[in-house]
Amino acid sequence: MGQGTSLRAYLLTRLALVIPMVLILLTIVFLLMRVAPGDPISASLGGHAPQAVINQIKHQLGFDKPLYVQYWNYLWGIVRGDFGTTISDHRPLTDIIKVNGAATLELTFFAMIIAVAVGVLVGLIAGRFRDTPLDVGGRLFGIVVYATPVFFLGLMGQLVFGVWLNWLPTADRASPITQATFTTHTNIFVLDAIIGGQWSALGDIIKHLILPATTLGLATAGIFIRLIRVNVIRTLRDDYIEAARARGITERSVVFHHAFKNALVPVITIVGLNMALLLGGAVLTETTFNWPGIGHALVQYLGNRDYTAVQGIIVVFALVVVAISVLIDFLNAYIDPRIRY
Amino acid sequence: MSRRKAFAAAMLAGAVVLAVAASQSFAGGASHRSAAASGVIVDGTTDTVVNIDPANQYDYGSFTLDLPLFQGLYGFPHGAKLAPVLATGCKASGDLKTWTCALRHGVKFADGSPMTSADVKWSFDRVNKIKGDQGIYTLLSNLKSVSVSGAYTVVFHLKTPQSTWPLILSTNAGYVVPKAKYPFNKIVPNTSPQIGTGPYQLVKFSPGQQAVLKPNPNYWGPKPKNSGIVINYYSKSSTMKLALSKGEIDMAFRDFTPTELGSLRKTKGVVVHEGNGVVIRYLVFNVTRPPFDKLAVRQALAYLIPRQTIASRVYHGSVQPLYSMVPAGLPGHTDIYKTVFGATPNVAKATAVLKAAGVTTPLPIDIWWTPSHYGDASADEFTEIQRALNASGLFTVTLKSAEWAQYSGALGKTYGAFQLGWFPDYPDAEDYVVPFFQTGNFTNNGYTSAKMTALITKEHGAKTIEARLAAIQAIQAQSAKDVSTIPYWQGKMIAVGRSNVKGISSTLDAAFYMRFWLLSKS
Repeated sequence: MGQGTSLRAYLLTRLALVIPMVLILLTIVFLLMRVAPGDPISASLGGHAPQAVINQIKHQLGFDKPLYVQYWNYLWGIVRGDFGTTISDHRPLTDIIKVNGAATLELTFFAMIIAVAVGVLVGLIAGRFRDTPLDVGGRLFGIVVYATPVFFLGLMGQLVFGVWLNWLPTADRASPITQATFTTHTNIFVLDAIIGGQWSALGDIIKHLILPATTLGLATAGIFIRLIRVNVIRTLRDDYIEAARARGITERSVVFHHAFKNALVPVITIVGLNMALLLGGAVLTETTFNWPGIGHALVQYLGNRDYTAVQGIIVVFALVVVAISVLIDFLNAYIDPRIRY
Repeated sequence: MSRRKAFAAAMLAGAVVLAVAASQSFAGGASHRSAAASGVIVDGTTDTVVNIDPANQYDYGSFTLDLPLFQGLYGFPHGAKLAPVLATGCKASGDLKTWTCALRHGVKFADGSPMTSADVKWSFDRVNKIKGDQGIYTLLSNLKSVSVSGAYTVVFHLKTPQSTWPLILSTNAGYVVPKAKYPFNKIVPNTSPQIGTGPYQLVKFSPGQQAVLKPNPNYWGPKPKNSGIVINYYSKSSTMKLALSKGEIDMAFRDFTPTELGSLRKTKGVVVHEGNGVVIRYLVFNVTRPPFDKLAVRQALAYLIPRQTIASRVYHGSVQPLYSMVPAGLPGHTDIYKTVFGATPNVAKATAVLKAAGVTTPLPIDIWWTPSHYGDASADEFTEIQRALNASGLFTVTLKSAEWAQYSGALGKTYGAFQLGWFPDYPDAEDYVVPFFQTGNFTNNGYTSAKMTALITKEHGAKTIEARLAAIQAIQAQSAKDVSTIPYWQGKMIAVGRSNVKGISSTLDAAFYMRFWLLSKS
C-alpha cells in the first residue's frame, strides 16, 4: 500500500515537472525564432513587393506588436489547443501534425523495428562469439553505421539499391500514381493499405519504405549492437548461467532461454531514449528521401522563418520526446521499486 | 495456444502479409506504372505551392498549378503573344482610363455553373478586398472600380491611364472564380475544392507532396491531349533527377542545377527541352551608399561584368548574357549595355572612367548574394564575378551572403551591391523596367530620377504600340546612363522529359507557361 502511494506520488511529481519543461522549451523556441535574422513576410515578399506592402502585411499579422504581446498570444493559443496556421502556406498546424506526423510515425516505427532487429541479432552474435571474427565484424559494423551520417547512408543506399541495382525506389512514400489513387484514413500508408485491402498499393508502399526505414534504422542499430553485446557477455558470466550449465542444460538452451532473455531487458529503456535520436535522424532521412514527414516540413518552414510552423512542430517533437521519457520513467519505477526521486 | 505462441503467430502472419505484398510489387510493380502509361503525365518539380486560390497567389509554383485550373479575360494560351481568353476582346476609352470587355459566351466553371460578368466583378473586387499577404493585389493598384453591363460585359475603371491593362488582365490577379463558391473576404484553403474555367480540375492536393488534376468535363475549349496530370513535389532537385532517370516520373519542370542538366543531357531515354526564357539575374546598387553612390564606380563595374564566363562556365550554356533589364525576345528590348559598355569585359575603359572620377584603385567593395533563393549555382556565379573584378586590379571584392529570409528583408536598406533575380508578372517589357526604376521601388536602392519618372508616365499613357515601345527603349537608354542595376544573364525555359513525352517544346516560350494540356505520351 505504502509502495503504491509512493509510486503515485512519484508519477504525479513526474507529470507536474513536464509543464515547466515544456514552457521553458516553448520560450526558448519563441525567442530563438525572433532573434534569428529575417522574418516570414520578407522571405515571402522580399523579392517583389514594396516595403510599404511588407509593413502593411506585418501589421495585419501582428508582427509589429511588442514581443511580450506576441509571446502571450502564442502561449494562450497553445493552451487552447490552437497551434495556429502557418504563415508561409496558410496550413493549419493540426493538419501538419496529422498528415506529416503520420508519415514520420510510420517511418520511425519501421526504422525502430529494423534498428531493434539488426541491433539484437548482431549484438547477440557478437556477444555470444566474443573475440571471434564474428564479434569483430559485428562491432565494426556497429561503429560504422553509428558513425556514418544518416544522410550519407541514405545517399549510398539510393546509389546502390536505387540506381546501380535498380531494386528500390529512391524517394517518396509511394509511386506518384499509387499516391494519386490511394485512399487514406489515418495517413499511415501501410495501415491504410491494409484497412482498405489495397494490396497492390501495399507492396508499392513497402518498397518505398525499405530504403528510408533501413537508413534510419541502421543509424540507431549501432547503439543497440554495442549495448546488447556487452549485456550478453556479462550475462554469460553470471552464476545462474554457470548453474544452468552445471545442471546439464544444453548450451543452446542456456544461451537462448536464459542469457539472451536477460540481456534484452535494458534495451526497453534504450529503445525509448533512442526515440529522440530517431526523430532527429528522421529530419535528415526525410529530406534525403523526399519523405513528407514532420521533419521534412520543419526544414522547409525554418528556411522561410515561419514562426508559427517551426514553433508548432518543435512543440510536437518536444511533447513526443517528453511523453516517451515520462512513460519510460513510469515503467522503470514500476519495475524497480528502488526508483523514487 | 499460449500467449507467447499467439503473439508469435500474429507477428509471423503480419510479416507474411507484408512480404507477399512487397514481393508482388517487386514482380508486378508495373501495375502502377501502367496507370502512368495510360496517358496520365507525372511531372516533378522543386517549386512549392503557397496558395491555390488566385486571390492570394504570387509565386511560380502556385502559378504553375493554377494555370491549368483558372483563366483570366486575357492570357497567353498559344505562345508569348497576348490573346483574349475568357473575353472576346477589350476596348479602351480615349483617355485609357476605362476598359470595356466583352465576355465569351458559353463558358462554364468546372462545377458546371455558367460564368457571367458578376463572377468577373466578384473576382476582381475580392482580390482587392482580401489584400492577401502574398501581395498579388498590388497588381490591381491602378484599378478604381469594376462595373457590369448585362451578363457578358465588364467595365474596368482605372485611376490613371494605362495602355497595358489587358496585360494585367492576364495575370492571376485577374483569374475568374465562381461567386457562389469563393467567399468575398477570405481565401479558400488549399485542401478545399478549387473551381475555375481551365482545362483541368483539381481532384486531390496533398501539401508538399502531390497535386492531381483530371480534365475538366465542362471545359469550353479543346480537350487536353492527356488524361490527367500528377504534379509531384520534391524538396531537392537531386532526388527529382533520380526519379526522372529511373522513369518514376515522366517529366520535370523545374528546376535542376546546371550540373544536373549536363548529366541529364547524357542520360538515355531523357530529353532536355529548351525554349526562350524571361527569368533574369542582375546586380542592384544602392545609389545613395558609398562607394556605389559614385556613378563612375557603377559604370566601371558595368564594364567588367563577365557575362560570357558566367553563362558558359557556371551555367554550361543554359543561360545567355543579358544586356538590358528587358530580356531578349520581348518587344522593345535593346542590347543597351552592350552598346554602352561593350559585349565583353573592358578593363581599359573601366580604368579610364575611374581615373576620370578620381577614384583610388583598387577599390574595396562588398557584394552580397544569397545561397538559398536563386539556386546552387549562385555561389559559382559570384565567385566568377569576384575573380573578374579582382583580376582587373580595379576592385578588391569581398563576397558576403545571407539566407533568403534575412537577405530579402535587407536588400538596399543594408547592402550596397546585391544580387537579385526577376520573374515577370506578365511577359512584357514594362514589367522589367517600372518595378526597378520607379521612385521607391521594391529594392530600396534609393534610385530616383525625374527623367526616368517622366518616361515611365509616358509609357503608361502611350496610345499606340509604337509610342509605348519607343518609351520602353528610352527607359532602357536612361537605365544605362544611371546604372542603378547591371543585368547579366537571362535564363532559358527548361523542362526535362522522358523521350515518350510529346509536346514539351511547344510550350517553352517567353510567356514562361507550362501548358500541361498540350502534352501527351506515346
